Amino acid sequence: MMGVRQRSKLVGVLVQVAALGLGLVIIFPIVYGIFGAFKSAAEFSAFPPTFWPGSFAYTQNFRDALARVPFLRYGLNSLIVATLGTTVRLLFAVLAAFAFAFYNFRFKKALFLVILATMMLPGDTLLVTNYLTVSRLGLLDTYLGMAITSFVGATQMFMLRQSFLTFPRDLRDAGFIDGCGDLRFLATILLPITKPVLVTLFVQSFITMWNAYLWPLLVTNTNQMRTIQVGITMITSFEDTNYHLVLAGVTLSLLPSFLLFLILRHNLHRNMTAGALVG
Amino acid sequence: MTKRILPVFLAFVMLLALGMSAQASSQPTAIVFWHSMSDEAGVLVEKFVKDFNDTIGKEKQITVEAVFQGQYSDATTKLNSVLTAETYDQLPDVMNLDATGKVAYFNSGRAYTLDDALKADAAYDIGQIQPITLNNWEFSGTKLGMPFAASTSIMFYNKTMLDAAGVKAPETFQDIIDISAKLPEKTADGLEVIAYSVVPNTPTLANWLGQLGSDMVNNKNGSEAMATELACIENGALAAFLTQWKAMYDAGALRNVAGTTDQFVAGQLAILTTSSSNITSLLEKIGGAFELGTGYYPKVTPEAHFGATVSGSCLVMFDKQDDARKAAAWELVKYLASPQVQAEFAAATGYVPVNAGAQDVPAYQELVEKHPQYEVPMSQLAITPAEMKSVTVGPAKDFYYAIQDNIAMMLDEGLSVEETVETMAEELGGLLRQYEQANK
Repeated sequence: MMGVRQRSKLVGVLVQVAALGLGLVIIFPIVYGIFGAFKSAAEFSAFPPTFWPGSFAYTQNFRDALARVPFLRYGLNSLIVATLGTTVRLLFAVLAAFAFAFYNFRFKKALFLVILATMMLPGDTLLVTNYLTVSRLGLLDTYLGMAITSFVGATQMFMLRQSFLTFPRDLRDAGFIDGCGDLRFLATILLPITKPVLVTLFVQSFITMWNAYLWPLLVTNTNQMRTIQVGITMITSFEDTNYHLVLAGVTLSLLPSFLLFLILRHNLHRNMTAGALVG
Repeated sequence: MTKRILPVFLAFVMLLALGMSAQASSQPTAIVFWHSMSDEAGVLVEKFVKDFNDTIGKEKQITVEAVFQGQYSDATTKLNSVLTAETYDQLPDVMNLDATGKVAYFNSGRAYTLDDALKADAAYDIGQIQPITLNNWEFSGTKLGMPFAASTSIMFYNKTMLDAAGVKAPETFQDIIDISAKLPEKTADGLEVIAYSVVPNTPTLANWLGQLGSDMVNNKNGSEAMATELACIENGALAAFLTQWKAMYDAGALRNVAGTTDQFVAGQLAILTTSSSNITSLLEKIGGAFELGTGYYPKVTPEAHFGATVSGSCLVMFDKQDDARKAAAWELVKYLASPQVQAEFAAATGYVPVNAGAQDVPAYQELVEKHPQYEVPMSQLAITPAEMKSVTVGPAKDFYYAIQDNIAMMLDEGLSVEETVETMAEELGGLLRQYEQANK
């Protein structure tokens, strides 16, 4: 007979193994892609295919990719658009979520449903309408034009509202009694506590915008305003995919997302309310 | 900070305005060229445009700005957005378009077609452009654009292997059967050798039906209007092809799966049919391992025509309601289709020159002299029946797989040709009808 403690230990080990396995499956394409950036064209056409590159000192792909496409300029463009879009989007989301979580007003439920309904619309169906709007606003070929369609996001608003709802009402009431108004409450109490959620949303949103391809391509007309994902398609062609160069470009384009993740990583899993209402 | 920047900025704007007004008298015509050429071809297109600006452009006061607009389908999406939004000032003067954008361009209401340009410039000899490539960009009787990048399918063969077996390069399916009997069974590395490996799908089947003088679907393979029915059943073309295909399979000369360049390079495959644009990369991959031969796309029967459909892209012009810009756009288009540019483009990318005059350009002659393989696609283009058109069908993906699956089933399960023709007629015809009903 297996004791309860033993059994739960076994379950724990199994869960760990399963999680590890799943993690490996998820990370494999990324690792394979990065390794690929160090392989020569000949290594790519080798049969059977190899996993490890011949040498990590082989940097020709990176040099070729950088020589062919102005990745630095395009990276800067992507950085500006993604930062601008993500920041404004979170700002709107925080304010809207605050209203939906803490205020009572007429049609609150209906309005909330309307916002949720926008999540059901596939982005592609909005492409032409958005293009029309942005071009009439005279924002073609500008950073604002590229970012403006991301300024309001239902998903972020929804996630924040859910997180705000879990916030203990008592804390807000306590703040009110001490003369803490809405804005101050939001800025000094609520936001610091929901920081993990905010950071997660920021990272997720930033990466989505960083990876955007079709929209930035649509609303820009000059070579200088292109984003990094457009740059990557410049090194590949229908006739010749150039995997080694593409993967070098992809590896370069992964760096900012990766750095962002590293910097904000410790914020992603913290529960600051723990202990706030003790006693 | 802002206070200090503002005056500087204003001064700069004023200077700029001054500079512009001073130049206004002899201002060059500035035009925009959207292209979808990436990789080496992209670098080359930028170079062509720069050359144009430095020579003809300088002489005729034209400056061209070349802008990469993503792959063809992305550029078409962009074109559609601009047209739907009616922001016509955003349209380029010249655009590099593939088949996905043909209809949108035709219906744009802002098309300055090749026919229009030819009318305005009687001196230009359109006869120098390969007729089959020109035909590809004709729609409802109008020549829409100038062919620019063209590729076609040709046959590659392992000349060393065929020489060792004492056989000549094949021309017909029957030749492939004959060759197969004489090939070694295994490579030096012990891998199985097969004569030919390919799967009939929309483009490859269109080639073989075209050789037999038949379209695959109506409305000239869907190039004139939406294809609504099959055009290869009553005339017996599909049955004729399937009969020969089955014979090749039953003789063990054919493996009905897509042969890869890797298998070909490894010596497991004697014959490979693929795009002519692979010549450069195949020569590179093979190195000196064996001699690479190229030949015309194999024929179904000795009576059939040689040839294969052409794919690629063209240059279309937009009417920006400014005669100077139209004339400038036409200058650029003429330049990009000139023998010199086409020869250089072909030499670097493996595309087939669309201008017959490219043969006389030293760059191209040198290339053909060094690698005679490059000669084949050009001469095949010249003899391909001009009415052979690539297939455009609405349910493209389902259609593609239905062809593949039905032919695989015939071979695997030993169905008769008649049965297969019947099921294909039913299934493929059904797909077309369904699509037509859904998109009326």
